[in-house]
Amino acid sequence: MTDNVCTQCGYEHTVIHRKYNGQRLCSSCFKKSIEAKVLKTIKKQKLVTKGDKVLVGLSGGKDSVALLKILNILKEKRIIELEAVTIDEGIAGYREEGVRIAVDVANELNVKHHIVSLNDRYNFTIDKIMKLEEKEEHPQNACTYCGVFRRQIFNQTAREVGATKLATGHNLDDETQSILMNYLEGNVNNMVRIGYKTEARDKRFTPKIKPLREIPEKEIGLYVLESGFEVHFDGCPYAHESFRMEIGDFLRKTTLQHPTIMYSTLNGFEKIKPSIKRDYMKNNTEKPNKTCIKCGEPSSQDICKSCSFIEKIHERLDMEE
Amino acid sequence: MSIILINKKDVKEIDFVENTKIEDILKNEEIPIETVVIKQNGETVTEDEIVNDNDEIEIIKVIYGG
Ligand SMILES: [Zn+2]
Ligand SMILES: [Zn+2]
Repeated sequence: MTDNVCTQCGYEHTVIHRKYNGQRLCSSCFKKSIEAKVLKTIKKQKLVTKGDKVLVGLSGGKDSVALLKILNILKEKRIIELEAVTIDEGIAGYREEGVRIAVDVANELNVKHHIVSLNDRYNFTIDKIMKLEEKEEHPQNACTYCGVFRRQIFNQTAREVGATKLATGHNLDDETQSILMNYLEGNVNNMVRIGYKTEARDKRFTPKIKPLREIPEKEIGLYVLESGFEVHFDGCPYAHESFRMEIGDFLRKTTLQHPTIMYSTLNGFEKIKPSIKRDYMKNNTEKPNKTCIKCGEPSSQDICKSCSFIEKIHERLDMEE
Repeated sequence: MSIILINKKDVKEIDFVENTKIEDILKNEEIPIETVVIKQNGETVTEDEIVNDNDEIEIIKVIYGG
């Protein structure tokens, strides 16, 4: 059956039919194409330069596992140094597996690996915070806390290990979701920050890069499975119905009938971004040029968001006792 | 003719007629194709594949939501 023949090499078993470009690929050609595409993005967007020390945020989920495996190609060619950091947020029955997989993958690829647990660093876990939130009339989502603490720990670890780039596993789905969400919410300030490289608002932040930005999320899942890695695909127990999820579902469903829609969203956005920046960002004054008096991180306030969260959580935990 | 459909802990037998694609089975089962990788008798396949009698079709969800 001609339908099942690799359009690259002619092998008679394919694992993917890319409706956005008509390719049908065998497992081997598919993996090569993902690696080539990511390396091309890195080169074209100048995401790394020779000698960079890249720190990967390695959750143990498919995106960061794929990212580490592909960046490892550059490590083996001695173009970059590579290390990974995993944050253990303390979510019982869920996070252990991700952390274990992160350890295994880093070990297998011979990448220096740092594990930071929220409990060791701050003396609380996300589980503990969520117990407190249960009693609130309007409880905060776990994601709010995770996001803020993760950012702080990534930035601190990057500085501690002397990383020159911080790499995250954001994929095409994530990025088009962010673009669309910001359009719909009219959030021009956030919109112009989305990019291959995150524009550092302060020189003391390590620049962030997103090498997987042009790879559809499903293809990353397939890449990791075809590479023989174990990945935990389970969702977080604190995941909630979010606007992002709605937009994600909408985009994926639209893609079924319009296979190139995520690429056109991303590319169109990249085209207009310079104009938006030029015309709307003149009066952008929210640069964090202060220093947090608690942790020494760059901050727009005297105390950064993370440290002010930490303080409030400790107060609430003390009251419990 | 029938296949075994494995979707995490959910395992069931499904009857089908000749020339049915995996895509048709997933649609019937309301499994969003855009969020899964499919294995047919242990081998990764595309949704265009035709199912055979006694096939074991495993669904691996790789995207949350949907
Ligand atoms: Zn091939
Ligand atoms: Zn601080």
